[in-house]
Amino acid sequence: MTRKQRRLSLIGVAGCVLAVALGLVLYAMNDTIVFFNSPADIQAKNVQPGTRIRLGGLVKEGSVQRGSDQQITFEVMDAQAAIQVSYKGLLPDLFREGQGIVAEGVLESPRVFRADSVLAKHDENYMPREVADTLKKQGHWMGEANAAPKTQ
Amino acid sequence: MLVEAGHFALALALGLSLIQFIVPLWGARANDPVLMAVAPAGALAVLACIAFSFVALTFAYLNSDFSVLNVVQNSHSAKPLIYKISGVWGNHEGSMLLWVLILALFGGVVALARDSVPMRLQANTLAVQAAITIAFLLFILTTSNPFTRVLPAPMEGQDLNPLLQDPGLAIHPPLLYIGYVGFSISFAFACAALIDGRIDAVWARIVRPWTLGAWAFLTLGIAMGSYWAYYELGWGGWWFWDPVENASLMPWLAGTALVHSTVVMEKRDALKVWTILLAILTFSLSLLGTFLVRSGVLTSVHSFAVDPERGTFILGILILFIGGSLTLFAWRAPMLKQGGLFAPVSREGALVLNNLFLATACATVFIGTLYPLALEVLTGEKISVGAPFFNFTFLPLIVPLLLLLPLGQTLAWKRGNFLGTAQRLYAVFGVAILASLAMLAFQHGGPVAAPLGIGLGIYLVLGSLNEIVTRSWSRGTPLSVAWRKARGLPRSTWGAAIAHAGVGLTVIGIAATAWGVETIGSVRPGERLSAGDYEVRLERVIPRVEANYRDDVAILTVFGSGRELGTIETMKRLYVTRGMPTTEAGIMTVGLGQVYASIGEVQADGSIGMRLYYKPLVLLIWIGSLVMAAGGGLSLTDRRLRIAAPARAKAVPPSAVPAE
Amino acid sequence: MVIWFILLAMTAAAVMAVLWPLSRHRAVAAQTDPDTQFYREQVAEIERDRERGVLMPSEAEAAKAEAGRRLLRSTGGRGEGFAAVGEPALRRRRAASTLVLSIIPILALATYEIYGSPQLPSPAAPAQQADNIDLMTAVAQIETHLAKNPQDGRGWEVIAPVYLRMGRIDDAVKALEAAIRYQEPDANRFANYGEVLVMTKDGLVSAEAQGAFEQAVKLDPGSPKARFYLARAAAQDGQVEKAKAAYTELLSASPADAPWVDAVKQELVALGAPPAEAGQGATSGIGPEAIAGMVAGLASRLEAQGGSAEEWARLMRSYAVLGQRDKAVAAAHRARAALAQDAAGLKTIDTMAQELKLTDAQP
Repeated sequence: MTRKQRRLSLIGVAGCVLAVALGLVLYAMNDTIVFFNSPADIQAKNVQPGTRIRLGGLVKEGSVQRGSDQQITFEVMDAQAAIQVSYKGLLPDLFREGQGIVAEGVLESPRVFRADSVLAKHDENYMPREVADTLKKQGHWMGEANAAPKTQ
Repeated sequence: MLVEAGHFALALALGLSLIQFIVPLWGARANDPVLMAVAPAGALAVLACIAFSFVALTFAYLNSDFSVLNVVQNSHSAKPLIYKISGVWGNHEGSMLLWVLILALFGGVVALARDSVPMRLQANTLAVQAAITIAFLLFILTTSNPFTRVLPAPMEGQDLNPLLQDPGLAIHPPLLYIGYVGFSISFAFACAALIDGRIDAVWARIVRPWTLGAWAFLTLGIAMGSYWAYYELGWGGWWFWDPVENASLMPWLAGTALVHSTVVMEKRDALKVWTILLAILTFSLSLLGTFLVRSGVLTSVHSFAVDPERGTFILGILILFIGGSLTLFAWRAPMLKQGGLFAPVSREGALVLNNLFLATACATVFIGTLYPLALEVLTGEKISVGAPFFNFTFLPLIVPLLLLLPLGQTLAWKRGNFLGTAQRLYAVFGVAILASLAMLAFQHGGPVAAPLGIGLGIYLVLGSLNEIVTRSWSRGTPLSVAWRKARGLPRSTWGAAIAHAGVGLTVIGIAATAWGVETIGSVRPGERLSAGDYEVRLERVIPRVEANYRDDVAILTVFGSGRELGTIETMKRLYVTRGMPTTEAGIMTVGLGQVYASIGEVQADGSIGMRLYYKPLVLLIWIGSLVMAAGGGLSLTDRRLRIAAPARAKAVPPSAVPAE
Repeated sequence: MVIWFILLAMTAAAVMAVLWPLSRHRAVAAQTDPDTQFYREQVAEIERDRERGVLMPSEAEAAKAEAGRRLLRSTGGRGEGFAAVGEPALRRRRAASTLVLSIIPILALATYEIYGSPQLPSPAAPAQQADNIDLMTAVAQIETHLAKNPQDGRGWEVIAPVYLRMGRIDDAVKALEAAIRYQEPDANRFANYGEVLVMTKDGLVSAEAQGAFEQAVKLDPGSPKARFYLARAAAQDGQVEKAKAAYTELLSASPADAPWVDAVKQELVALGAPPAEAGQGATSGIGPEAIAGMVAGLASRLEAQGGSAEEWARLMRSYAVLGQRDKAVAAAHRARAALAQDAAGLKTIDTMAQELKLTDAQP
């Protein structure tokens, strides 16, 4: 083989691998991406039941109910709407009523969400970024210093 | 006083770096050895200044000097000594200081490697290194100054984030940074070669140990971070495809490719342009990783610095260095001489494939990590790209690479014989397939991929062993001769075989996670919970008080197949100063597997929620990584690779040997 | 002063470290050419491989020939020698030395001048540190005790002022809250709680704090602290006459040597004086003129260049704290005009207006 042929065959192989990778990426983008929604978004965007989403908002005060065998339900709300969340498992250390969380799972009906993972903020100053953004947009966010006393 | 002197030393380092940047470049252009000699002197002076300033900050932490804002925010006088020290880099400002310290350290070692690096290359390299130092010193001094003072000094500090009060996290950042920053040397050498317009096998020989050392440390750092997440976050997962993890995985993938391509360049004088590009990209990805973690653009368990000003500054550094080096590359690379020829089926050809797959896999991780950020900036839509995406794109690219690995390792340089090579491996292949089949036959449930993964791992381990055996033993050779021959093999051959076997061990560990069992339930004292063949009994829950936290400790007795194995403790911990709860998992190692328990809150009826896992062979994931790093380390000790170990009698300063 | 000597000595050492190689005339020791060495080793390695039987003799010969060719190529291309002697080299060296002598001291001192704080004293003397540690252990003990017995109101009451001294205001708020919750109602306790709340809001008497003070007055109509802050609340709400009356009343009810008398008099002066000079010198270390100046600066900047909703809100709050309600109202109006396109910004302004009770500032 001449130098040119070798180079062409190398480019050919590289092209194949890249094409396969691109195909995988595009396919996965359609299939595995999860959108973030707040309770209000679910109504506004009319998210279909059965869709996998990340749900973010505040845990409504007094809504947490612990069933038998670690079955837990609570309500996640933002300024405009609330949605029932059911979850089986251990809640994260920083899960509290009145605080921001992000849950990932499947929307079962427009009012009920089944979570398979729940994330809470990871230190006392930190609110999940998506939740903070949503609340900011809805005008209920005044920075950490002012928000803190309100939850008490 | 010491704090102020440390602060001033940092400012001095800035001035020195500017000299180290200007004068040697000028000297190399004018070909003036006197000016070039400023480079090593400058690098050592910068190292001394930054090291002094790091020591000053450490002293402030040790003495709990609360007139330093950084100490107030991240320390507490009641904290144990080790976390007072690790608190120095357990925060944004201090970790950036550690970053430049390691940068200066590498500069210093290059400066001492006087005899083995051509003078012009050294001068240019240290000048590029100085440019990086300038950028990061400016970043520290203007936006993240660890020496900011407060008056009046508070009486007590706010303590370190409890998640970071852990021995794993005390050594994770230094390891990771040595890896990240180590690639800056490859980058600086690449830029220097481009500035000089001259690159050859000698360059590859000089660069390879640095790359290898950085790679080994990065491997250790990633493994340590992964193990920390596994036992500290209490979810039992060891890799989350979290953006911060990806930020360290990307340079690792590119660095792995670089380690391999420099071999080709050294042995065969080929792949020059690609190697240079790869060296630039690897460090660029390290910078990107620093940006992602340090700017707070990510929502992640790791980000503990959120500040738009800093983000913009690092973005500026990122654009300057990536843009600048790629421009330099586009301008000078066409002038480089073409390298040697080789047949597609050869060791070189296999290494090209290795690079191709690694680079492509790295690109998919890159897309998956940055796409959500780009989309949010452009459209405001928030999405998350999680494990399914990466499993779907990354694995199909890595598995063929692993399948080809033992083949490539066995192929000859320049022109290989595919059939002959395959013949040398057929026994290995057979054993691997048999193992897979046996697993398939005996497994109870679980996905089909798992036995195949185990087979792949066995194939990799045996392939590496086969490499050593066939190189030292052929039919009829007495064992003693073969042993002598095997011991006589170059250390880099042993290193490569060991590192590749490490990959195999990790693959086995990952594949075996498919057989892990998870149970969640509520238990009361005296009750049992089981996961697979293992069972735990909750004995009691007792409170316990320590210096800066208090625990609710659940004491569990572990049973395996009905036999009592011992007790483990898992706890809910409350750090008093920050009022922050954490979960400490209870882990019992059984063989290479682990029984892993973590508890939730105590319920009204006196029961507690518990999550119990049995994870077979899980330790192999990290053992494999350690073996990989050890292989890299062994290669480094190969006499031929040592920077200043020429075959002559003159004594060499020991500090000129990297990573020892 | 000592510190400057140390810093100068460090600068001198740094400059010397770099000047030293420039001062040497023959800087380059004869360096073994790394190229030659590399290829020599490569040939030796090929030889070893041949002995071990990894390479066929013919292949080894070919490989050796290639290594030799490359060696020739690498040395052949570099005929030029180093330019270390002669007039230009000398001039270069002088220029470089000048660079070193100027850049390092200037850059280092300038940077340090901007960011450093050489005037600050060294950390506290060991004796005081020992005190701190004693206090710390005491705090830690109380904290552990409280963690076990969270309903011990007295414990919370004891630890609150300590938190305050340590600058942990939020913790102090929580502690006093608990103290109130678990103990009999007491005027002093409510007044202290209110005061801490005022501190968290930088001097603004929030509705929450006002509630606490009202409770205190209900329990003990004479409570000077509560009456003082209620008067200030009135001033911040724009009810200047009511505030003046309340302050005067408090003054007349207090013994002449009471510790708060000066503070009350200052407030009265502030209310009587022209608005621009009003201030809250009683609690702040910065003079009222300085505060007024800072607020005026913020105001003129926002007028000229506009700003974020948070900045407008800060301006409103500043005026309210200074007792200049009319200006706060005007600022709210201007903010609404400036942020008309920004729904979230308007919300922030509205919330702030509500918090400051600027009722007449509603759109």
